[in-house]
Amino acid sequence: MKLMEAEGKKLKIFINIFVLALSLYTVSKREYNFDRMSVFEQLMIESFAPIQRLASSTQLSLGSLFDHYLANVSASKNNLVLRKKMEELESRLFTYEEIQLENVRLKDLLDFSSDIPHKKVLAQVVAWDASSDFQTLRINKGLTDGLSLQSTVVTAKGLVGYVYRLTDHFADILTILDPNNRTDVLVHRTRSHGILEGYHDGRTLMKYVTRTEPVILGDEVLTSGLGNIYPKGIPIGAVGRIERESYGITQYVEVIPGVDFSRLEEVLVLVRPNDEDRRKEWQALDMSDVEGGGE
Amino acid sequence: MKVQLKDLAVPLLLTLALLFVLEIFATTVLPIIGLHRYVIPFNILIVLYMGFKLQTPYLAILIFIVQYFHHFFTVEGWEMGTVAGVVICLLISYLRDVIHFSSAAMTVFVTQVFQCVWFFIVSLLLYSKLGDMSFILDKFWRFIPESIIISLMAPFFFSILDKFWTGSDEASLGEGL
Repeated sequence: MKLMEAEGKKLKIFINIFVLALSLYTVSKREYNFDRMSVFEQLMIESFAPIQRLASSTQLSLGSLFDHYLANVSASKNNLVLRKKMEELESRLFTYEEIQLENVRLKDLLDFSSDIPHKKVLAQVVAWDASSDFQTLRINKGLTDGLSLQSTVVTAKGLVGYVYRLTDHFADILTILDPNNRTDVLVHRTRSHGILEGYHDGRTLMKYVTRTEPVILGDEVLTSGLGNIYPKGIPIGAVGRIERESYGITQYVEVIPGVDFSRLEEVLVLVRPNDEDRRKEWQALDMSDVEGGGE
Repeated sequence: MKVQLKDLAVPLLLTLALLFVLEIFATTVLPIIGLHRYVIPFNILIVLYMGFKLQTPYLAILIFIVQYFHHFFTVEGWEMGTVAGVVICLLISYLRDVIHFSSAAMTVFVTQVFQCVWFFIVSLLLYSKLGDMSFILDKFWRFIPESIIISLMAPFFFSILDKFWTGSDEASLGEGL
């Protein structure tokens, strides 16, 4: 009996050391740029993500049912109040119709994505990350829809992030709110360069902006196109806070993203026509790394 | 409870099924009702339960499986949670004689204490990777409400997990260990 217990202890020590060593090795090797998944991992996410999508849509439907039917107990009382409001609002409607027409014209003029020479894939957000440490989204489009790793993701309000990991029908997006997502950006007015990183509370930080750059509050921030991930000129947001000390070489610039990530439902994935070439470039780099390491 | 390899498969599958349901809840339902900033880490709850109540040489492998399953729902990866889980289980194995789940309040307290240890280990690993203290500070402010919710839910979920791992709720809150 004692011999069996001793054997069990030895086995436990061996397993603990093995699992700890494997975990620590994987932590040290993990890169937060993108994640190439194994076939098994892809299969598992392909199995779970539809259920996440179903749960999302069910929740929305239930919310709609609650709003339209169950919450109507006091509808008759509200009806009288609403009738009065309706009369008031009808008078405003005429003005708004004019504004709406103007809005359509302006939207046509801006037409956010028409200048970007990429194939565009519309996708729906189906889930968020299971850890609050990471700001990622899961969308319902994947390899079969033409997406590739590090494809840019945008909305009409600006940049969302890039494709971090990918299966046949789903993709995880590393948003610009995540500290692991570093984007080369420039201030539209002054052309000052900096690196944008996720910060907290839905804000981002523009680092390495030299102290002498005349950045002011409200300055628009765009992608610079450097880094080979994002196309140039995609709006990100506006400068929301600046701290400039009398010493040091850089200034503290906080950027408030234009995209409201808490209300994100649909996104646009920009797929470059030459993504295949880029994949081959990555492969060639990987190969050269392997060869270099073997020497 | 002493658990042999042959006894592990069915309870583990049930535990994974529970984790699956809870992860779906955390990644879809909570964000829709407006909880974007805070996500309840149910994987920690399950790993802590295993550490508290299972005595098997294969505990580290069980933790690895739970964390590996968890990483399908997050880009966090399985490694840091596995390191934290195994280290905590080693700590628990030394402190087993002084840890008692005599009441729901004790369960809540002990769970909260070991979540702090979990936070410390994961923060250390994250800092070694990112080298950014502000990220850890931000994580700490999220950790406080998230960990309190997990601790408050611990007695309920531990009783469910007791049923999976012992076949009855007699060992609920750890009596009989």
